[in-house]
This record gives sequence, C-alpha cells and structure tokens, in this order.
Amino acid sequence: MSSYPDVTAALAELRAAVGEKYVHTAVEKRMVYSFDSTFQNHLPDVVVKPHTVEEAAAVVKIASRYQIPLTVRGAGTCLSGGPVALQGGILMEMTAFKRIIEVNADEQYAVVEPGVVTNELIAAAAKKGLFYPPDPSSSGMSTLGGNVAECAGGGRGVKYGVTRDYVLELELILPDGEIITVGNKVDGLTGWLDLPMLFTGSEGTLAILTRMTVRLLPKPEAIRTALAQYDELDAAARTVSAIISAGVVPTTIEIMDQMTIRAVENFLQIGLDTSKAAFVLLEVDGDGWEVEQQLEQVIAICKENGAVEIQVAHNEAERAALWKARKSISGACGKINPTKIGEDIAVPPGNIPKMIQAVKEIAEKYNLNMVVFGHAGDGNLHPNIMTDKRNTEEMERVNQAIDELFARALELGGTLSGEHGIGFMKAPYLLQELGRDGYLAQKAVKDSLDPAGFLNPGKIFIEKELEVTHG
Amino acid sequence: MAIEQSKIERWEKELSKCIRCGTCRQFCPIHQVLDDESYTARGKLYLVDQFIHGDFLLSDGFVEMIGKCVMCKGCTANCPSGVNTYQIFMEMREEIVKERGLSFTKQSIFRALHWRKFFDFGLSCGALFQRLIFKPAPDGHGQVARVPLPMAGFNQRRIIPNLPRKSLKKIVPLESKARGTERYRVGFFTGCMINYAYPQIGQDLIHVLNHNGVTVLTPKEQHCCATPLFTSGEKEIASDLIHKNLEIFAKLDIDYIVTACSSGGLAWKEEFAKVLGEDHPDYPLALELGKKTKDISEFLVMIGIDTDGLQPLQQKITYHDSCHLNRGQKIKQQPRQLLQSIPESTFIEMEKADGCCGSGGSFNLKYYELSRDINRQKTAHISDTGADVVAVGCPACLMHIKDGLAQDGIQAETKHVVELLAESYGFHQNRKGE
Repeated sequence: MSSYPDVTAALAELRAAVGEKYVHTAVEKRMVYSFDSTFQNHLPDVVVKPHTVEEAAAVVKIASRYQIPLTVRGAGTCLSGGPVALQGGILMEMTAFKRIIEVNADEQYAVVEPGVVTNELIAAAAKKGLFYPPDPSSSGMSTLGGNVAECAGGGRGVKYGVTRDYVLELELILPDGEIITVGNKVDGLTGWLDLPMLFTGSEGTLAILTRMTVRLLPKPEAIRTALAQYDELDAAARTVSAIISAGVVPTTIEIMDQMTIRAVENFLQIGLDTSKAAFVLLEVDGDGWEVEQQLEQVIAICKENGAVEIQVAHNEAERAALWKARKSISGACGKINPTKIGEDIAVPPGNIPKMIQAVKEIAEKYNLNMVVFGHAGDGNLHPNIMTDKRNTEEMERVNQAIDELFARALELGGTLSGEHGIGFMKAPYLLQELGRDGYLAQKAVKDSLDPAGFLNPGKIFIEKELEVTHG
Repeated sequence: MAIEQSKIERWEKELSKCIRCGTCRQFCPIHQVLDDESYTARGKLYLVDQFIHGDFLLSDGFVEMIGKCVMCKGCTANCPSGVNTYQIFMEMREEIVKERGLSFTKQSIFRALHWRKFFDFGLSCGALFQRLIFKPAPDGHGQVARVPLPMAGFNQRRIIPNLPRKSLKKIVPLESKARGTERYRVGFFTGCMINYAYPQIGQDLIHVLNHNGVTVLTPKEQHCCATPLFTSGEKEIASDLIHKNLEIFAKLDIDYIVTACSSGGLAWKEEFAKVLGEDHPDYPLALELGKKTKDISEFLVMIGIDTDGLQPLQQKITYHDSCHLNRGQKIKQQPRQLLQSIPESTFIEMEKADGCCGSGGSFNLKYYELSRDINRQKTAHISDTGADVVAVGCPACLMHIKDGLAQDGIQAETKHVVELLAESYGFHQNRKGE
C-alpha cells in the first residue's frame, strides 16, 4: 500500500463514525502521534479515537472501503515501531477503551478492554488476592491491548512466561469490519486452530483488539530477593545458564554488566561496588518452605560459579534497595550519552555467556558505548547503545553494530525479539530469521486475513525484502 | 523567530535525553484527565525540538499545548532520563510571549502587580465592592460570582474566598517580637494569596513563630513573588519584581526568610536565580537569600517546636502534598511530623497525596473546568479517608481544594498546616469566623 487515496475523502465519514471531537487533522496533533518509544517519526494523516466497539468497527470499514492504511495505537510505548503510522493514513487511538469489566476470583480470570494500563490490572487483581504476571518495564503506562498485540514479556518471564501464556479469549475486529470472538474463558482453546495465540503478537497487522480475557494466578505467598556480585562477567553469565540447567525456576534473573553498574552508581550514588564486573539479581517466589529452599539452591549455584558477594533482602525495604540499581538503568544510561538505543534479543539460556561475549566484541569493533543488561533468565538481553543521534557518523556505526548484533543472535539459535515485537525496526531482519519459506508461510496468513494489506502496513512483512530474495 | 544560539544548544542537549518512553503519561495530571498525547511531556518536547530547528512554526494548537500545563513538575521529577521539562516549558513560554505577547488579561494583571500600591488599592476596592458582583456561597464560607466573569476565570459556581477589607501587611506590624528569649529573627515573605485573601494564615504563622521564640519581620513593601509572570513567560516585569524583593529582604537583620506558600518558597529558593540568570548583578544575592529561605513546616521542624503547649484537637487530619512544596522544595515529611504532634488528632494518609490538585496557580483561572476535573480525583481521595480536615502547605491549593470539596459536596475543611498548629496552641479562641 505505497499509495492510497486522499484521506480527505474519508474525513466526513470518520467524523460521523467517532464524533468530530475525536478526529484530528491539525499538524501538531498528528506530530505528537507520529512516534512510539523508538526514534522514527511518521505522520498519520488523521488521528481518530473511538469509544465503542461499534465506532472502532465503523473506522475499520471506512479504512477498508477507501483502502487507507490503518494503524492502531495504545499508549505508544512500543519499542519496535508497532503503533507508528509508517505509511500515513489513519491512526486509531484505543485508550478510551479503559474498563476493567470483570475480575473473577473464582475462575481466576479478568475481562479487560485494550486501553487499560497494565499496572491497573495488576492492582485490581491484587485486591482480590490474584496475580497477573506479565510485567513489561513499561507497565506503569503501557496498555494491555499493546501488551497482547506485541506479546510483551517482563522481568518474571523465566518462571511465568510472557503475555501469550495468559491470553484466553479475544474480541477482535477483522479487516472487513466484522466483530468476532476467539478462544474462551476456560482454557483459551476452541475448535481447530489456536486463534488467540495467532492474534497475540500479531502487532495490529491481522485484526483490531477490542476486549480481552486474561488468565490470573493466585498470588504467591512469599518473594525472596538476592543480589550476587562477580569479578568476571563470564562467571555471571555462566551462573544464569547453570541455574536454568539445574532446573530451579526463579521468577527473575537480571544481569547487569560493569558499564551498567558504573552508570547507575554515577547517576544515584548509592554505594554500588563499581569494581565488580557484573551483578545478577535473583528473585524466587512460592509458598512457605519451598521458597526458602529455592533461595538456598540459587545462592549455592551463584557461589559455585564464582559469585564473590551475595546479599539477601530480609524485608520489603531491603528488596527495594536491591532492585534500585536495576530499575534505574534507563535513566542512568541517559547520563553516559544522550541517546539510548535499546535492543531486545533472546538466545537459548545456555548461550547467554557467548552472546554477552559477542556484544562486548561488537561494542569494541564499532567503538561504541554499549551496556548489557536484561532478563537473562529466559535468554532475553537488552544490549543498549549509548550514542548521540546528532552525531551522524556515529549513528552509521550504530546501525552496522545492530545488524551484526542480530546476525550473532540468530547464529546462536536466538531470535530478533525477546519481547518488543518486530514492527518496522526489525522487519528488515525477519527474512533472515524465518528463512524464505517460513516467511512466505506467515505472509500467507497475513494475506488471507488482510488481502489488501491496509492493516498496519510496512510492519513485520516488507515486500521489498522478499523481492530481493526472489531475484 | 530568533532564539538565542546558547539557548538552542542547551535545549538540544536536554531534548536529546528524551527517549520517548512515555513514563510522563502516568504522571501528568492533564493527560490523566484528557487522555491525549498532545498533553504529555514527550509529545510537547518533540514539538519544541521541531520548533527550534525551524521545522515547525508556532501554531495556535501548539501554543495551547504549551499553555495547558499546571507546572506541577510531575513529569520532571519522575523522568527516568532526567529531562527538565519544567524548565524547557518555562523558557518555551518566554519565546511565545516574545513572539505573540501576553493575553490582555495577564498583561493587565501583571502590570498591576508591578505597581504594588496600585494593586493594593485595586484589591481594597475589590474588598469593598465584592458584594456587588459576588454573593455568599450557599454554606456561608466564601462567595460565588453573580455573573460569569470569564476574563478573570471566575466561573459562576466557583467558590472563592471573601476578600478581607485589610490585607495582612496592613494588619500586622513590621516587627512581631518573639515571646520569651529570641532564638531567631526571620523575614516573612507573605505571597499575594496570604496577604490579600487569607491574612489569617499569616497571623497564625506569626503567632506560632512568636510562641516558639522567633521574631518575625513582615516588610510592607514586599512584592509578588513573580511566579505567575515567569511561568507565563513574562521575564522582564518578573525580573524587576525579583530585584525589588531581594533588595527589601537583604536590608533586614534576619537569620532566615520564611514562606508559607509553595510556589513563593520555590521562587525564593531556586527560581529567582534562574530567572535572573548568571549574568544579572542580583544573581549572587538571589543565591544567598535562596539558601536562607525556609518553608514554614521545614523551619519549625528544624528549630524544634514547643509540643507541650499543643492542646488536643479531636480531629481526623489528612494532608495534601503541594507540587511545589513536595517536588519543588522536597518537603514531604515535615508537615506530616508537625500534624502528627497535635495531641488526640488522627493522621490518615490519603491515596496519591502527592497528586496535583489541579490549581496550577493562574492555570485554574484560564482552564477552570479542566482544573476541576483534575481536582475531582483529589477530593475523592480526601473523601475516602473520612478526614475532618485536609491540611495543606499552600494557599493556592487551599483555595482550589476548598472550592472542590464544596462543589463535590464533601464535608471536610481545608486548612493550612500553621492554622491547625495555631488552633492547637489555642490562638483561635478569640478569633471570630473567617
């Protein structure tokens, strides 16, 4: 959909569909909706904000009839460009869908609308003694619709998995404007194909989410937190692999390299030992004895693998203190260099030591400031490049480094996206990961549901890339 | 429009720190109510970025976005990358004023503030004639407008305080002596709201300080703190007011300057120097007096108060953190500590005590309905505590919350922290109703 009719023709209908007040064409309005948490901007032609499923369906029908690109946006905190209107057209903001319709304690599920902020569901579930595990770092502002669309992960992924593991039922608007429900509230499976799983992580390219039922768990009785310090990064990386292969399942294993530690200490001055090469933050949860046993086991593995110091939190305040460094990474990195380019790769946990080594080599090769941290427990690493977007020469090296980072992750049996999605940031690399046939199989699904390709065009599937291989 | 090159460079550096993570979405009271990316810091910072690079010109919509900000510092205090959005918005407003000038209303008010005697006179006339345009509020506290006065932002249902016939500066002497041995000498910067609208807060402050061995000097020539001016982008008159204030307080023989107003205190502590800039001859004096400035709660806790003299008040008290006291001056614990020292009272923490009340100084004059929408969340949290009194450290918040509670039909009083202390010390026994 590289060219499409003038949006002005559809404006009157859009205004009739969602109300004049919720249709914006002024340039400053379009500008603030031209980006997410990545660094590229693409202006939508019009921003619309429906308040009911019927209104949203009407927008889809209008976009379909006029063949105008339609991109859906929640809080715009995506890290791969998902809600950016790459080819212009209509940007549909879903944040007015903000009701938590039901939190069912007996059946342990919640019915929510896509505009609900992740933490609001976490809080609502907690009030009934329940627990919604996926907690992306952006959970204070990200919406559940965005979480499902991108299949968001989070710190608890090692034990509890990612958003996909909690989606039971979805109400969706298909590209033709029809409203369907897939899955069910019991086990999420109905009929033949596992449709909730198909739509989870489809990044707005197949349908528009309007209501979700997600699974909740009973809240674990206790959480124990420990911070292990290392003189060698490799020892820390080995610890992560060893814990996973020993069959212990912590909720969280977070790794931080020396540059990260230094950045945080510089930023906060909380007395972190900056001579250490790496920190590993570990958290286990469960009931009674089980959790104490796990903690002991984890500590033993850390020691065996060369941890030189281990701190254990004994209360909530101490726990917060141990988490402080991890939670402050983002801001701390801003002090090294103004522009932070956060990447998101995942490799099998056994390959974490190799991947960390690769990141260090790439940083050196391209002479860049790179920090490594991440939810290492499920193999998810966030190498972050600290640069300055005003420095074009360095930005060129940054791009080369990212290319190589992805290539190395794939070589190590990994994936391009641990939890941030493909969007357009990683679309150029998708063919490399899936192979030509795998790519075509996925494209066939897209084409059958959205033959005109007007839903979130330019994301995930890039025609140009395919033609190159065909040639 | 030509923006100074040095300013562009400073802004560029600050703007490049924004990683567009959107954390500001959850801390912006305007965004919480309007649910529109146009009012988030990251959205507006992007527009500022485009603007200074000449890729985008001042549009009416952009000017409105920059104006629709309560300056609560929520985004700035919580930004993981430490972007000083507050400062950028303030300076951006200056650029807007340079290009477009101020609105007629603001222009008139600011000019009047500049000529203090004229402003004094205007408000005294206001006190005499207020009954012509205002009528008493249904519950007898304060008043509501008989006719809509949109230019001044007085919505017809809005409850504003009765203007006293005499301002604080006319009631109290220059020097109010400490009772017993003099421990400290302080200058009291009253701020406009306490001076003109709530002189009893000022009287209470003086009583409480005198009781605790502090001599209070209240210079009559003091001016407006200039916050409404420099936050609106009016730098010239602001600098002159700052200069006059500095001059007046520099002459006094005092150990500290005490304020009971969140924005006034912040202005003295930080913003006077910032607004003047390093090259201004008064800059060193602004820094020096800034260091001497203490908020009343901060000061009382610092010197230690006579707690034995506090009489029981059987009341449930909750406390609202004013933005410029909490995020601005980092004062959070001191007022709570003072309130908790009142015998037989119960202190109850409200949810989101540090959430903005929606007042935003002159913001609520221009956007009254929006500021009420923000305030509704605050009054709901106050109501949830079941408190008899909500204590505040800022007269602007006090006025706005008072109005909000009345509009929402919630039975709780709103009082300044020093009013409660004065009440507990028994200073109110001879005082008639407000």
